[in-house]
Amino acid sequence: MAQAAMGGQGRRVLFQQGTVLKAVVLALLVALIVLPLIRTVMFTLHPDTVKAWSDVLTGRLSKNLFYKPLGNTLLIGVVVATACVLLGGFLAWLVVMTNVPFRKTIGVMATLPFMIPSFAAALAWGSLFRNDRVGGQVGWLQGLGLDIPDWLAWGMVPTLIVLTLHYFSLAFTIIAAALATVNSDLVEAAQIAGAKGRRILMGIILPVTTPALVAAGSLCFAGAVSNFATPALLGLPVRMQTLSTRLFGMIEVGQVGRGYVIGILLVLISGAFLWAGNRIVSGRRSYATITGKGGRAKRFDLRGARWPLCAVAAVVLLSSTVIPVIVLTASSLAPSSANLFSNWTLHYWMGQSDPSFAQGIPGIAYNEDIVRALTVTLGLGLAVAFTGMFVGLLASYTTARFREGWASAAITQISFLPLLVPGIAFGAAYIAYLGAPIGPFPALYGTFALLVIAGTAYLLPFSVQTGRAVIQQVGGELEESARITGASFGRRLFAITVPLAIRGLAAGGILIFVKIVRDLSLVVLLFTPTMPVLSVLAYRYASEGFGQFANAITVVILFISIAATLIANRLQTKSQPWLQN
Amino acid sequence: MLEIRNLTKRFGDFEAVRDVSISVPDGAFLVLLGPSGCGKTTLLRMLAGLELPSAGQIVFDGKPVSDGDRNWTVDPARRNSGLVFQSYALWPHMSVRGNVDWPLKVMKMPKADRTRRVAEVLKLLDISQLADRYPNEISGGQQQRVAIARTIAPKPSVLLFDEPLSNLDAKLRVEMRTELMRLHRATGATTVYVTHDQIEAMTMATHVAVMNHGRVQQFGTPADLVDHPETAFVATFIGTPPNNMVPIVRNGTGYKVGGRYMPVTPPADDCLAMYRAEAMTLSDSEGETTLPMELVETSAIAGRMMVTGLRDGLRLTAIVERAPEARIGDTVQFCLPQRPDSWFGPDGERIG
Repeated sequence: MAQAAMGGQGRRVLFQQGTVLKAVVLALLVALIVLPLIRTVMFTLHPDTVKAWSDVLTGRLSKNLFYKPLGNTLLIGVVVATACVLLGGFLAWLVVMTNVPFRKTIGVMATLPFMIPSFAAALAWGSLFRNDRVGGQVGWLQGLGLDIPDWLAWGMVPTLIVLTLHYFSLAFTIIAAALATVNSDLVEAAQIAGAKGRRILMGIILPVTTPALVAAGSLCFAGAVSNFATPALLGLPVRMQTLSTRLFGMIEVGQVGRGYVIGILLVLISGAFLWAGNRIVSGRRSYATITGKGGRAKRFDLRGARWPLCAVAAVVLLSSTVIPVIVLTASSLAPSSANLFSNWTLHYWMGQSDPSFAQGIPGIAYNEDIVRALTVTLGLGLAVAFTGMFVGLLASYTTARFREGWASAAITQISFLPLLVPGIAFGAAYIAYLGAPIGPFPALYGTFALLVIAGTAYLLPFSVQTGRAVIQQVGGELEESARITGASFGRRLFAITVPLAIRGLAAGGILIFVKIVRDLSLVVLLFTPTMPVLSVLAYRYASEGFGQFANAITVVILFISIAATLIANRLQTKSQPWLQN
Repeated sequence: MLEIRNLTKRFGDFEAVRDVSISVPDGAFLVLLGPSGCGKTTLLRMLAGLELPSAGQIVFDGKPVSDGDRNWTVDPARRNSGLVFQSYALWPHMSVRGNVDWPLKVMKMPKADRTRRVAEVLKLLDISQLADRYPNEISGGQQQRVAIARTIAPKPSVLLFDEPLSNLDAKLRVEMRTELMRLHRATGATTVYVTHDQIEAMTMATHVAVMNHGRVQQFGTPADLVDHPETAFVATFIGTPPNNMVPIVRNGTGYKVGGRYMPVTPPADDCLAMYRAEAMTLSDSEGETTLPMELVETSAIAGRMMVTGLRDGLRLTAIVERAPEARIGDTVQFCLPQRPDSWFGPDGERIG
């Protein structure tokens, strides 16, 4: 042994530093992300199913199967992305650069819509605007005697509005962060040069924030084209199809090959737009403002427009957060959504089964399916939060410690790959991947493990991002100085890394928890009656006409999401003596 | 004895450290001096065991601790060395006492010994009163002391410092310099100290290795470097103010010194002549060895004046008794001594 030969202290370094770790992480990521995608593509190329490509792209049905949904999808993507950048950019400008009243409140409210599931707003829209076109209950406004036209009740217009009210908050976050880096020195320098408000906006602020605007636009586009819940709830009843609802429909009726083909095309479209956005941004020079100091000394004075602009912001924010919550809560209590605020009953929450009421479906507290779904959902959230943070931390540690080499670059690229893959397509890929037995491993379809693995893989971009922030916080030298003392990897982890990183880890874990609990698009295809989750149950109830149950479940999801977010905030401010002062 | 033999470190195609060989006796204070990016920190990290050399050996007290040729290394913790990081790398969630104590705990030192040793080093560095504070509650200079206390607590026989004073303000830096030298005498540990500040190097070192582009340009005592610089790089990097380096070109039968014909006899046709600042004078009129320069700086130093002139990219500094009458921007005649102090070839090597 080399150790004995060299005085019992040294060791031979067999591989270059980090090779083993890199190999392990890379293998893990390939198994989680690359193989499912490859397996899906391979499935469609199989001789029995390869015909699906021509069916979808050139066949007699291709217009209905692909081209019409494609048109709808692109329309949704373009309109929603544009509207989100305008709306999110406007709010970000108000919050970061002006003296609008209630600035901070607006800032907090504008980040909320993204924390609530997108189907919440779609369900709320239905409770308000449904008309009698497809039968079943009508919405509150129709109930008040207003005649709601079809275009406002169903299809494209409500889909666009609901998606914009959901995704603008993503655009807001990105643009506000970019605007915050435009420090006041930059603006003051322009003022000294004699520029006025408009000139400063067009000449300084817009060019500096263009990368953020493009990034926000392409992310909103990718989100909107891959969204499943909203077009499914508002569009499917009037046969408006998008690629994601088509994909869902194909797999539901057993035309798996065609479904996968549509899924692959959806991935290519949203991937192409994200890539193009990235190209536009990276082709430019980066405008990271370089400075040590510079607080925001002065804000743009809106003068007379302060209150009117505040009112505009309030309308947007109320209709995207407060109103959906009120409507959903009221609707879960009201027997008829036409009379949202009368005859309230707790039946949908805690009533026993009664044949004369909602076809004998008991309230959600006594509904075994729902109670089981609640446990499964919470368990899934916790499990994915743990596995996600573990893999995310491992991957970001590896790339931070050993930056050189193609393997690190590959780890980074692969871990962000799921961003390009819409949730529903990812779900489809996982059915292709683990739905059937692989060698000695049994088929995982319908198991909790499948949900956890797919959820972990799907949310890896977020967990790696969080992990990276955590690693940066802990810093290379802090860990190195512990390594020099001779502490083992485990000891360093628990004495140095974890105590320093616990805030970031907890916040990241809870973010993942919330994302998976409110997710519909990924799990809608992985759902089985033996392994129900809340969001899919809500969707099923809604599409079967039991709006109250759907809304009650959605309120539960909302409650869990908000509570988890609050706990995350509490955890972050928990007493840490070295941070006080 | 600390020995470095033919040490090389490559990152991909880039050679950060090239074929470095140095050896110093026990108790030496070795300073690795050079501009940023010269490889000095990489060399230090290899000494600490944080990086594996690509080739060459490191030997502490006759025992090899790293061998790049055989990809063999002793773990950082087992080579009896301690490293003080540039950022101090204090663990923010541990108190001052905790920071100093933890490495001893990892070493499995008994509790009573630990308590005694922690108290001892805190006292040695005069920070006993800060024991229960957290790193963010004390000043930069105090953080520095804690970092040093943490490193010397396990009594390493080799102490490594990575630009430890660069984050301190000027006054504190001078104080800590004295403090570090006192500590070096008190512990007797062989010390390797990385810096880009030649004043630190000249005041503290027993041995200096001047590095540039990954190579050791010259290795010797501080006095060696000043009296007998081996390369033009060393000659212009060491000394306050730095030495003047004037290009000499053969033109016909004569030689042009800084653009003017002067009666010199250089050992080669094209070369560099080094003149010490204290050997330069100012002259009121043109002479045989004067160069007209634009006056760009004057500053008082220890009762004398440092005068700097600039022309066509050539920068000359003279230490004189009295400031010239001329104002900044005027032309001043810098007078070179009859013979330069040293000659360097166009490749920077000393030729006479």
